[in-house]
Amino acid sequence: MHSVTLYHWEPNANSGKPMLALMEKGVAFNSHYLDLLKFDQHRPEYLAVNPQGTIPAMVHGDRVLTESTAMMEYVDEAFPGPKLMPADPRDRWRVRWWMKLMDQWLGPSFSMIGWSVFVGPAVRSRDPAELKAAVERIPLPERRVAWSKAIAGNFGAEEMAESRRRVALGIRMLEDALARRAWLASDEFSLADINGFNLAYALPLAQPALSNDDLTPNILRWLRTIYARPATRACWAMGRTSMVERVKILEQPHIAAGQIA
Amino acid sequence: MSLTLYHGEPNGPSLTVLAALFAKQVPAELSYVDLARGERHVLACAQEPLVAMSIEGEGPVLVADGEAMSDSVFIACYLDDVGQGAGLRPADPYDRWETMKWCRQMIERTAPAAAYLGCHAHPPQADGAMLQRIGSVDLRARWEEIAARRFCAEKLEDSRTKIRQAAERVEAQLADREWLMGNYSIADLESYAWLAGMVPLVPEAFVNRPRTKSWFARVKASPAVAQALSLARTPEPAASWSVGPEINRWG
Repeated sequence: MHSVTLYHWEPNANSGKPMLALMEKGVAFNSHYLDLLKFDQHRPEYLAVNPQGTIPAMVHGDRVLTESTAMMEYVDEAFPGPKLMPADPRDRWRVRWWMKLMDQWLGPSFSMIGWSVFVGPAVRSRDPAELKAAVERIPLPERRVAWSKAIAGNFGAEEMAESRRRVALGIRMLEDALARRAWLASDEFSLADINGFNLAYALPLAQPALSNDDLTPNILRWLRTIYARPATRACWAMGRTSMVERVKILEQPHIAAGQIA
Repeated sequence: MSLTLYHGEPNGPSLTVLAALFAKQVPAELSYVDLARGERHVLACAQEPLVAMSIEGEGPVLVADGEAMSDSVFIACYLDDVGQGAGLRPADPYDRWETMKWCRQMIERTAPAAAYLGCHAHPPQADGAMLQRIGSVDLRARWEEIAARRFCAEKLEDSRTKIRQAAERVEAQLADREWLMGNYSIADLESYAWLAGMVPLVPEAFVNRPRTKSWFARVKASPAVAQALSLARTPEPAASWSVGPEINRWG
């Protein structure tokens, strides 16, 4: 059996997706933590593993894998353990549809807001020369632009408004889907739920006016059910920063509208 | 199982799905929809949330036992699962990962660029009443830009760069093989479907690309793609474009 090494940041967004998938499958892996806010992902040691400088990356034997959603499908197919893709072809289509929406439409809107209120302020106090050098080391031009904007706090009012519109609409879409089914894309737990939890676990904290037990009871039920799974507990225990504390909002039995300001 | 495929001219996402359908010999009723006129939006199935909110832009819709499905690569995966004969994805998990990663790059980087350049050169002509029916606000906004012929020079140039990069990747990938993933796969269909129409629009991307050139000919001559192309209603289906996915907003 070849060893598995995962290069990841906090259990959150793209990093958390393969972390949680590996844990649900019961696959032991070497954890290699990269501090995103210290730009570990653009250092030569990591670029030797993943020249794109994106997190996460997984090394399985001599195979290197990137792209967290495709990586999760690999984890499901390459290892024994519970299946994380449904058997029915139409359910599988739905899993992939939702993952695409979250990866390419909803996720970037969440992260634009997250970067403007969290990532930007977290790194902005650093030495400007150091930041400039760090940005210049970023291999992908798109990521250079994203980091520059986050550091400068340079998000336009229009693009922030568009992100807020998408977040509000995305929350309604999730609530509707979860009102129809126990899980996001099928009647069983799947990669879509792992993907969705990593996007939405702090939703009642981050978007209290849009997501709470009064407005989105099915989202809250879904998040709490996933949070109760042993793999999720073990995964979130791997966090190293206070970011990981946000998931504890789900320990509250009822979050009423207006309860969290 | 009852299947109806609503598709447009065999180019872009419609070509991928039609070719997958024929390659896997899946029986389906075919229904032609003029995607360049926005006709998809008058279909009842287009109002289903997972079609209305598809981020692919104007693509085909497969209705399977009453459920409407969108997004061409994932419909092709579905057809690969339910159809017969050789798989359209490799069997090995790592090769399957590479296929999905390749297609994701096509979906996210190449398709928006190709659709933008395609609509610039061959403007789709939707009538206003159709556009009013579009459920997705961001898709309608892209339609309005294109209907008004408001193209951004920077986006056009960026799109040409993306096509050059895609051609470079295809050429490199074909160094030791006939098909992108070793065997004929969804990656060939998806890549051909978006790139074939780019040859006259971004000619410099395809100069000195002998492997890509012969791969284009191989894919075009493959029975499934040839059958899909035979459904064309215009003389040059690769010049038929409609609104595609959005160009990345950031990152």
